[in-house]
Amino acid sequence: MDVTSKTSEVPEEPAAVVTEKVWKAGRLEPMPIRKLPDAPPSMHILGPTVFLVALGVGMGESYMWPRLVLVFGPDIRWLFMVGVTLQAFVLLEMARYAMATGESIFFGAARIFKPLMWFFYAAAILIYMWPGHLSAGAAAFEEITGIPWQVTACVALVFVGVLFSLLSVIYNFLEKLLGLLIGLLVVGTSVIAAIVGNWDDLGRTLSGMFAFGYFPHDAMTSAWFPVVVGSIAFAGPSGMQQMWYTLQLRDSGAGMGAHIPKIRGLRAAGEAESMPSRGFMFDTEDPAEMEKWKGWRKWVTFDAILLFWGITMLVTISFTVLAMSAARENPNVAELIEGGDREAALKAMSDAFASAGSPILGTLFFAFIALIGLNATLGLFDSFSRGQADMTYYFVPGAKRFSMSRLYAGFLWGVILFGILILLFGPADGPAGILDTLAFLSTFAMGAYCIVLLLTNNMLLPKKIRPGPVRNVIIGFGAVFYLGMLFYCLFRFGVAVG
Amino acid sequence: MTHRAELKQLAEFAVPAAAVGAAAGLMAGGLAGFVGQPVGWAVVTGLGLGVPLVLFGAGYAALVALGKVPAGVFAPAAVYWAVAFPVSLLVHAIVTAWVVTGTPGLPPEVGKFLAFRALVSMGFAIGFLWMHEQLGRLWWPRILEHNLYARRTVEAYAHLAATLQARKAATGRGRVRNKRTA
Repeated sequence: MDVTSKTSEVPEEPAAVVTEKVWKAGRLEPMPIRKLPDAPPSMHILGPTVFLVALGVGMGESYMWPRLVLVFGPDIRWLFMVGVTLQAFVLLEMARYAMATGESIFFGAARIFKPLMWFFYAAAILIYMWPGHLSAGAAAFEEITGIPWQVTACVALVFVGVLFSLLSVIYNFLEKLLGLLIGLLVVGTSVIAAIVGNWDDLGRTLSGMFAFGYFPHDAMTSAWFPVVVGSIAFAGPSGMQQMWYTLQLRDSGAGMGAHIPKIRGLRAAGEAESMPSRGFMFDTEDPAEMEKWKGWRKWVTFDAILLFWGITMLVTISFTVLAMSAARENPNVAELIEGGDREAALKAMSDAFASAGSPILGTLFFAFIALIGLNATLGLFDSFSRGQADMTYYFVPGAKRFSMSRLYAGFLWGVILFGILILLFGPADGPAGILDTLAFLSTFAMGAYCIVLLLTNNMLLPKKIRPGPVRNVIIGFGAVFYLGMLFYCLFRFGVAVG
Repeated sequence: MTHRAELKQLAEFAVPAAAVGAAAGLMAGGLAGFVGQPVGWAVVTGLGLGVPLVLFGAGYAALVALGKVPAGVFAPAAVYWAVAFPVSLLVHAIVTAWVVTGTPGLPPEVGKFLAFRALVSMGFAIGFLWMHEQLGRLWWPRILEHNLYARRTVEAYAHLAATLQARKAATGRGRVRNKRTA
C-alpha cells in the first residue's frame, strides 16, 4: 500500500476534474490526503484522555485491587502495574491510528476484515446494555442520602439523556465536565488518604508495585485466579473502552480528526455538517507534515503518561492506602472485603474512616464512590452511543440517511430506556445465565483489540508512521496476556473471569 | 498601578486557585452539615483544612501571576505543594486536636506525618493543576480587560490558542472539502 494518485469528480463543480492524492488502506474507500493541523503544546493539561480516566478509574481501582492487597498483601500490586502500563501502550497505539486517519478503530477493523467490526458491534450491545454499572455509585449515594439506589439510577439515566440531547457539541461540554469531576476526585482522594493513611501503608503500597514475579500459591486456586484475572482486566480501562477513546480523540479534533465534523446533541442535530464517507491521511513524504506528526505523538504521549497512567496510579494508590488503614482500624473490614460483598465492604470502610478520623470522613468516602460512578456513567453512555452510531452510520445499509448525531441520539435513548426497564423489572447486571458470557466477552474484546491494533497500524498506515518493533512486541504481549489468561481460566477452572 | 490596586488584581487573578483549595474544605464542611453532623465539626473540619489550602492556593496563583512559575506546568506545582500540602494538613491536625482535647497539639511522629503527606501531595498537585487550569479558562477571559495578570497568563497560552485556531481553520477547510468528496 502506498500513496497513489486518483482522479475524482467533484459533484459541486461537474465541469472540473480534480486530481488528488489518496492513500489506499485495506479494501474500503481510499483516504484523500489532507493537511495535518499543528499539534497543541504537550504540557497542555486537558485532553480526550479525561474520558478514558473517567471510564477507567472505577471499581477496579477503588475496590477490586484494594481487596487483592488485603488478601495477598501489597506485593500483588505489580500485576496492576503491568496491567495499567500495558493499557498506556494500547492507548498510544489506538491514538496512532485515530490521529493519522481521523477514523475510529472500528473503521480500521472493517478495513482489515468486516466481520471483526461486526463482532465488536454485537459485543458492545451485549456487554454494555445492562445498567449494572450504575449500582455502585447509586448505592453509595443511597448511603449518604437514603434515597433508594434504583430511583437515583433512573433519574441519572433520564438526566444524562436530556443533557446530552440539549447540548450543541457534546464532546466540548463533556470534556470540561469530566475534567472538573476528575480533578475533584484526585484532589479529594489525596486529601482523605493524607488524613487517614500513614507512611508505612504508602511505603508498602509503592514497594509492592515493583515486586515483579510475586504470585502466592492461593492466587492459583479456583476461588482466586478468576478474580485476579478479572482485576488485571479491570486495571485501567476495560472491555471496549480503549476502542471508544479513538472516537473521542476524533471529536476532540486531534490529528486528522480535525477534518471530521463533531457529533451534536439531538436539539442541534440539524446543524451537523455532512459526514465524510471515510477518514483522511496526511502526506508522510512531506518533512513539515512529519514534524507536525511528531508534535501530535508528543502531545498524546504526555496524555498517556501523566493523565492516564499517573492519575490511574494515584487514585488506586490512594484507595489502597484507604483500604489498608480501614482494615487496621477495624479487622472486620478485612473480613468483609475478602468475603467479596462489595456493598458491605464499602460500608465497613466508610465506618472505619468515620471512627478513625472524623464522622464526615465516612460520608466523604461514599461521596467519592458516588463521584466515580457518575464519571463512569457519563463516559459510558457517551462512548457506547458514539461507537454504535459510528459503526451503524458507515456499515449498516441505509443508515446514512440519518445523520451521525441522530444515530447517536437513537442509541443513547435506546440504552437509557432499556436501562430503566431493567432497573425496574429485571436483573441490573444482566440475566444470571449469561453473566459468565458477558465477563468472557469483555476480556476477550481486550485481547481481540490488541490483534486488531497490530493489523491496522502495520497494514493500513504508511511505513513512516507505523509502530516500531518494541511497541509491536508489547501489543502482541497484550494479546497473549489477555487471551492467554482468559482461556487458561476457562479451561483450568471452568469459569471466565471474576 | 498603586500597591493596593496591584494586590486587588492579584486577589482577583487568584480566584480559581483559591477555589480549588476551598473545594476540599467546603466539601468536608458541607457534607458534614448535610448528613446532620454537629455544626461545630463541620465548621472546624471545613475551615481547618480549607483556610490553609485557600491561602496556599492563592500563593501559587501569585507566583504564576508574577511570572515566578510558568502556568500549567507540573514540576513547579509539585514542588510547591510538596511543602504547602503537608503544612495545611498539619494545621488541620492541630485544629482538630484543639477541638477534641481542648488544647492544640502536634500529631505523633511529626517528621513521618509530614513526609507521608509530602508524598501524597503529588496527587493533590496534579488535581490542583488540572482544576486550576479548567477554572482559569472560564475566569481569566472575563477579567482580561482590566486585570494585567490575567492578560499576561492568557498571553502565555497564546501559542495554544494559535494552534487551536489552526485546527479550527483546518476543520473549516475539511468541511468544505468533505461536502465535495462525501
